[in-house]
Amino acid sequence: MQVPRFVRSFFVTPPSPVAANIDSKSSTRIYEQLDKIILWLKTFQLFFKLQQQLQNLLINIVAAGPVPEHVSFIMDGNRRFAKKMKMPLKRGHEAGGVTLLSLCYILKKMGIRCVSAYAFSIENFNRPPEEVNALTDMFAVKLDEFASRAKDYRDPLYQSRLKIVGDHSLISPEMKEKIKKVEKITNDGNEFTLFICFPYTSRNDIWHATRLSVEECAERNLEPRSLTTEEFSNKMYLHEYSNKCDLLIRTSGHLRLSDYMLWQIHENGGINFSPTLWPDFGFFQLYLMILNWSFFTTIQRYIFHGSKKSESQPKFWDRKNSSKSLLENLPPIPLAVSITGERDTT
Amino acid sequence: MNSEKIVENARLLAGEDVNVSTNRIPPPEASFMKHPSKLKALQAVAHLTAAERDQNIKTPKNNAFWNQEMGKIQYFICKTLLVGMYLVFGLFRYLQYEYNRMKLRIWNVIYNPSNTPQLIRQDVTKLNKIPRRLAAILEMKSVGSVGGGVKGLMNDGSEVACWTVSAGIKHLILYDFDGILKKNVLEFKQEIKTKLSRYFGPSNVPKFALRIPHKNKVYFSNDDTHKISLEISLLSNRDGRQTIVDLTKTMAELTKSEELQLQDITMKLMDKELTQLVGPEPDLLLYFGPSLDLQGFPPWHLRLTEFHWEQDNDQVTYSIFIRGLHKYSSCKINVGK
Repeated sequence: MQVPRFVRSFFVTPPSPVAANIDSKSSTRIYEQLDKIILWLKTFQLFFKLQQQLQNLLINIVAAGPVPEHVSFIMDGNRRFAKKMKMPLKRGHEAGGVTLLSLCYILKKMGIRCVSAYAFSIENFNRPPEEVNALTDMFAVKLDEFASRAKDYRDPLYQSRLKIVGDHSLISPEMKEKIKKVEKITNDGNEFTLFICFPYTSRNDIWHATRLSVEECAERNLEPRSLTTEEFSNKMYLHEYSNKCDLLIRTSGHLRLSDYMLWQIHENGGINFSPTLWPDFGFFQLYLMILNWSFFTTIQRYIFHGSKKSESQPKFWDRKNSSKSLLENLPPIPLAVSITGERDTT
Repeated sequence: MNSEKIVENARLLAGEDVNVSTNRIPPPEASFMKHPSKLKALQAVAHLTAAERDQNIKTPKNNAFWNQEMGKIQYFICKTLLVGMYLVFGLFRYLQYEYNRMKLRIWNVIYNPSNTPQLIRQDVTKLNKIPRRLAAILEMKSVGSVGGGVKGLMNDGSEVACWTVSAGIKHLILYDFDGILKKNVLEFKQEIKTKLSRYFGPSNVPKFALRIPHKNKVYFSNDDTHKISLEISLLSNRDGRQTIVDLTKTMAELTKSEELQLQDITMKLMDKELTQLVGPEPDLLLYFGPSLDLQGFPPWHLRLTEFHWEQDNDQVTYSIFIRGLHKYSSCKINVGK
C-alpha cells in the first residue's frame, strides 16, 4: 500500500499557481481528485478484483443487446494531457496508446467486430521532426506488442487482426517492412479487426479509391459507366468496413471531423463528442456511449420492424376481407326480376 | 487544361440518372429523437424481454481460447439486467430531454431578433471572427405538423438566408436530403424575397443569387447581377457520394480514351473538380435537429467543418444560429498541429 500521490505531492510541492490557472474550473478539479482517490484505492488487491468483476458484468450485460459493428476513435488530446500532467510529449502519446489497447479489450469482449483509430494524420508531418520521430518509434514498439498479444491464447486480444492503413508512400521503407510483417502475422485473426490509420486522411482515402477504380477500368478494360457506389466503397482502405461506421468517438471537445472517416460517417453514422482528453477517456465514458447507442438502436429496430410487420401481415380482423375488393364482399343480393318476366340466368 | 472537360462530362453523367437511394437508415438516436415517444420506447424495451435470442448475434467470448459463449442462464440474467439498465437510462434521458427543452425555450426568449437586421448585426459585431461560408442542413417535417411540408421547409430556408445576410456572411449552403428546395427553386426565390423585404423594407431588398451546382444554374433575384450580398448554394444527397462516383466514371472514361493520364489524377485536381461540381467547403455547419445526423452531406466538403447543433432541439431558430457563430468565433483552428 502506498500513500496516495496527491497527499505526497501536497507535502513535497505546494500546488503552483500556474497549474491552478490551467484548469480553473472547480468541477474538473474535483473530478481529478476523485480519479486520484480511485487510483489509490486500486492499489488494494481486493478493490482491483471487484472493479474487474464489475466491469466484466457490465460488458456482458451490454453484449446481450445490440452492439455496433464498427467503432472508430479520433484520439485527440494526448499532447494536452502531457502538458497538463507536466510530462514530456512522448509520455502523453504513450498514455494514449495504452488507452487504445485497453479500450480494444473492452470492445472486443462486447462483441464488436471492428475498431479503427486515427493514429497519425498526413497533416501531422508538419509537426516538429523530433515529435514525428518519437511517435513513429513508439508506434513500431506498439505494433510488436499487439502482434505478440494477438498470438497469445491467454490474452483477451487473441485472434484479432491488425491492419495499418493509409498512404504508405509517405513512410520509411523499414517501417513499411515492419508493417507488412505484423500484418502477415495477424492475418488469420477473424474475430476482431483493428484498423490503425497511419498517415491517413479521408480525402486521401477517397482520392486513392478513385485512382484505383480508374486504373482497374483501364487495365481490365471494364465499362466505366457500370461502376457502383458499393464497388467504389470497397476499394477504400477499410475494405468491407468502408461503407459505414456505426459510432465515431472524438475526444477533447473539438466539434469537427478533421479529415477522418468522412465517407464512412456522413450518411448514417452516429458521432459522439466527448470533452475528455484521450488518455483520460476511460471505461465508463465509453460504456455510456455504447449503452446510449444500444438503447436507441433497440427502439429504432423495434419501430422499423413493427411498421414492416403491420404492412406485410394484415391484422386478423380484416384478414378475411383483405384479398377481395369491397364490392365482392357485400352480402348477396335477392333475385333480380324484370317486369317483362325476364330473369337472371344464375 | 482539360479540367473543364472533366466537369462538363461529369455533369452530363449526373443528368442521366437521378434516382437517389431512398433506403436511408439514420443514426439511431437522431431517428428516434425526431419523434420522441415514451410509449414506443417502453414497448421496444418490453419487446426485448420477450424476444428470442438472436442466433446471428454472437455473444462475446470471454476467453477466446476456451471458446466460451454465454450460457442460457447467464444470458437470461444479463438480459434482465440490460432491460433494467435501459429503463434507468431511459428515465435519465427523459429528464435530460425535458431539461434541454426548457433551456432552449429560455434561449429563444433571450435571443429574439424579431425581424430586425440591426439586432442581428449587433450580436455579430461582438464576435472576433465569423465563418466565411456557412452551411445548414434542413429537413422537411411531415405535412401535418406545425411548420411542416414544402412550405415550412422554404420558410425555414428563407429565415436562415435572412439571418445570414444580416450577419454579413456572403455564402450560404442549404442542404436538404431529397433536394426539395432545388425542385422548387423559383418559389423559394420568391419566398426569400418576401422574407427579406420584411427584414429590410420592400424598397431596398438585398440582392442574392441562388445556385444549383449540380445543374450548373444560377438564379438571380434581380436582373442586375452586380454587388450580390448573398450567394446561396442548394445541395442535396445527389451531390454526395454519387457525385464522387460520377467524377470517377468520367475520369475512367477519359483515361480509357487517353485524354487523361493516370498520374494527372491528383488530390489537387479532384479538389478542383469537386469545388466546381459541388462548391467550396463550408466553415461552419448548422444542424437544427435533435442529434447530429449528417444525412449524406457531401463528404469531401466536410473535411475541417465545425459542427453546431443543440441536443433535443427540433426547430429552426435564431438562437441556434447565433450560438453556432459564437462557438465558431471561440474555436481554435489548427491543421495537423
